[in-house]
Amino acid sequence: MTILAVLLLLPAVLGDSRYLFSVLMNCMGLSLIALGVWLTFTIGRTNICQAGFALIGGYATAIFLAHYHMNFWLALPLSALVAASAGAVIGSFILKLRGIYFSMLTISLTEAIRLAFLNGGDFTQGSRGITDLPQPFGDSVFGLYYLALALLGFGLLLTWRIHYSRVGRIFRAMRLNEDLAESFGTHVWRYRVIAFSVACGLGGLGGSYFAVFTQSIYPQSFSVEHSIYYMLFCFLGGLEFVSGGIVGAFVLTILFELLSQFQQYQTLIYGGLMIAVILLLPNGLMAMTLRRKEVRA
Amino acid sequence: MLQVLINGIVLGSVYALIALGLTMVFSIMRVVNFAHGQMYMLGAFVVYYLYGQFQLPFWLALPLAGLALAVVGVLFNRLFFQPVLASAKREENSMLMAVGTALLLENLALTLFGEKQRGVPPVVDGSFIFGDISEGGAILTYPNAMVAALSVTAIAALLLFVQYTRPGRALRAVAQDKEAARLQGVDVKSITTLGFAIGAALAGLAGGLLVTIYGVNSGIGSNISTKAFIMIMIGGAGVTSGAIVGGVLLGFAEAIGYDLLPGSLTYLLIFVAMIVFLVFKPNGLFGKPWG
Amino acid sequence: MQKRSMIRAAVLAAVAPWFLLGSAHAEKILKIGVNGVMSGEAASWGLVNKYCAETTADMYNAKGGVDIGGQKYKIEVVALDDKNDPKVSVTNAEKLTSQGIKYIIGPNIDTTALAVKPVVERAHALNFPYAFAKELYKAPANASVLGMVASYQVGPIIYEYLKNKKGVKSIAFLARNESDAKNQQAEGVAAARKLGLKVVADSDSYEPGTKDFMPVMTKIIRDKPDHIVLSGVAPADAPLLNKAARDLGFKGSISTETGQDSKILAQVAGDKARGFISVGGASTPEIQSDYMKAFIAAYKKRVGEWNDEAGTKVYALELILAVLKQNPAAVNNTEAFKKTMATFSMSNPFVKGGKTRLEFTGKADFGRRSQVGVPLVVNEFTGKDFKTLFVGTIKN
Repeated sequence: MTILAVLLLLPAVLGDSRYLFSVLMNCMGLSLIALGVWLTFTIGRTNICQAGFALIGGYATAIFLAHYHMNFWLALPLSALVAASAGAVIGSFILKLRGIYFSMLTISLTEAIRLAFLNGGDFTQGSRGITDLPQPFGDSVFGLYYLALALLGFGLLLTWRIHYSRVGRIFRAMRLNEDLAESFGTHVWRYRVIAFSVACGLGGLGGSYFAVFTQSIYPQSFSVEHSIYYMLFCFLGGLEFVSGGIVGAFVLTILFELLSQFQQYQTLIYGGLMIAVILLLPNGLMAMTLRRKEVRA
Repeated sequence: MLQVLINGIVLGSVYALIALGLTMVFSIMRVVNFAHGQMYMLGAFVVYYLYGQFQLPFWLALPLAGLALAVVGVLFNRLFFQPVLASAKREENSMLMAVGTALLLENLALTLFGEKQRGVPPVVDGSFIFGDISEGGAILTYPNAMVAALSVTAIAALLLFVQYTRPGRALRAVAQDKEAARLQGVDVKSITTLGFAIGAALAGLAGGLLVTIYGVNSGIGSNISTKAFIMIMIGGAGVTSGAIVGGVLLGFAEAIGYDLLPGSLTYLLIFVAMIVFLVFKPNGLFGKPWG
Repeated sequence: MQKRSMIRAAVLAAVAPWFLLGSAHAEKILKIGVNGVMSGEAASWGLVNKYCAETTADMYNAKGGVDIGGQKYKIEVVALDDKNDPKVSVTNAEKLTSQGIKYIIGPNIDTTALAVKPVVERAHALNFPYAFAKELYKAPANASVLGMVASYQVGPIIYEYLKNKKGVKSIAFLARNESDAKNQQAEGVAAARKLGLKVVADSDSYEPGTKDFMPVMTKIIRDKPDHIVLSGVAPADAPLLNKAARDLGFKGSISTETGQDSKILAQVAGDKARGFISVGGASTPEIQSDYMKAFIAAYKKRVGEWNDEAGTKVYALELILAVLKQNPAAVNNTEAFKKTMATFSMSNPFVKGGKTRLEFTGKADFGRRSQVGVPLVVNEFTGKDFKTLFVGTIKN
């Protein structure tokens, strides 16, 4: 919550540094997508197909805007809906897999979705992608910035609400023991699909946002590599916290920017630091705060 | 059609070797080694330097690539994976570590070996010719034949090792049940290290073999990893026979697909078919259910 | 427990700000940006751009800097890796332009180049992409200058050569399945048809990351072409494709429209790539000047090893500096640069003899001069090295 408040006021301080804006906008968009991955963690699934659903959302927006000349404000929620429905349909089949099998299946799913758009003929314009999308706010950076912030706020609120509601408790019970939850009369299947579908919807929303941010979408805009990064954000931030994915996304993205002056060693140091963090803080960055609270109590 | 068959056999035997290393690590440690492809790449670079640059005989360079990667495997296991497995609240953290090591290896290679594609002189040259290609004939080049034969040899050697030697039996015991193995007096920690070392060595061997026909660059790792994931999922993760069957199946699917379909449609169909297959048979062909 | 976590937090906190430290300079500095892919599979594309810019900067800085309007400037190259990801490319472009950088070399492919276009336009900077999409260079776009020869410019020239000199009648196209490559393929097919060549395969492609090209090549060879064009192939793929074709008994000729590296071809394919036709810049020994030799030496000193791809990429920074020298007002004003660009002409320092001109071109394709006029050098691979087949010029 504090992060959001800071982000709300930050533009006043930043003035007109478009670079810092675009870093923050990247962070917020990635956070939004990562929230979905985090939500699938709460039902005990490691989701590595979020980039695929971001791609679906991005393409939906691009097709609505470019082929049907739809209003952006209509295209945005519709794209999230498309991604969520796709997630519900696919999820109802694949969610019976667990653990490593589910993770690896979702890797393949990311690839399958990318290849589907690549082979989509004139509708998706194949490898040429859909370009020159109109930007809803014209030249102003503030519009898009606050859109990202609003979307992130919405995503966080939604995840928060779900996590601390009755449904969220059921999710947690399911993560600990699916069979047990089922035996208490919970429709595990239905809740799993709901969680997955919301997660995919968040991914689609993020994809849609990035499509207007870069004004284009290509099959390789979101790939397996990105899926893996979204998962990393959640791990590094901490899986026990709703804001874990957000913290991870901000820290890793900003870290990468800070390292850019090391030129070719940038990614090398990045990889080394990541391993260091995993070794030193195996339960995520947010776990530092948890420990302190535990001690105080 | 003969050409498709030959392409399938060559690809399949190589893929099986790659998948075997990945499945070995998984069966022992329950870790999906995302760095498997990067280890393959390192093995290829070892052969590139020893055989291609310092002109050591290939028959010496290839085992050295396996050995070098085994050392990397031992170090990775002791320094990175065992601490994480010991301290993390969730086992997914080992996956995160694997991704971290993959990233590190890839960028280390880019810094050390540069951005260029590398290749080595052919070990053998020439080909078996079965008629003109444009008339429906087929060709098997000696290098391809050699790579396929050596892959099959390496696979057979590993199977014999696992089946008939003492450490091999200990490996199987740990894969089946860690606790039971411990009670029977197996040193689980060192056997786990051995398993990881063998897995890494297999990746290195595969890389060292294939550099002779495909060359290598520092960025090829993740692609190899993704393919290896597909193979072990088809067969069932952690099962030796599954990895071999998965590898051969993918090799043939690729060879046949590329023959009949335009470019990327092949992999789209492979992925879709695999997802549908796994929905009905979540543990692959031979896999055990595992949460 | 608390102590340990405190230590961990302290370690992380101590490491973080260390990375924020920059270095301060006192003298006049001309910053040049490089934005492109420098990691992952296509790393060589962006890295070669970066190395070339850095080498040019090294050469000028060794002489105390570049003299623009009586003022010495040290050149500082700011290179950023975009991982071929349009999102990152946009951030990079914002970063470069926010530092006041006006001239940016890269990015390398259509996706990233199109994504940064609005950013560069807004900042009134000038971009030198190595991507071929025409909408980057045609009006109303006005912030990009193509850094090299486009495939659709060199393709027809090579095909015409093949048709007239080598008696090629049928031709097959194989592309890497990516935006740029597929566009190159489509344009190549159109050009070949226009010349009256029979196109026997016009849409075959392979996935980036493919290593075994036997299946793809088998299919192409069954169509019995006299010549195979590899559209948009990466330097890593070209030798493997050549090898696969020759292993399968292909007797015709093979060409591509992008720059390749002779050492890669020699190592991976050797004799099997003999006769492979590709596009070079100025690195073939027959035509290189002493200045080019000095450049290669400086490049080797910086990078360790020469890459022939760099032959097509030596021009961008050299030409930018030459224009700035002629019109010092352009240092901070790209409008002035564009004005000079329209009429600029100098003798090409990289090609010996001093007769070849270096200017901005592209009028025929883009309706205005928005392209670095790299000489169109067509090379043939001998099994070890490149030898120049012929030097053409782009219609202006």
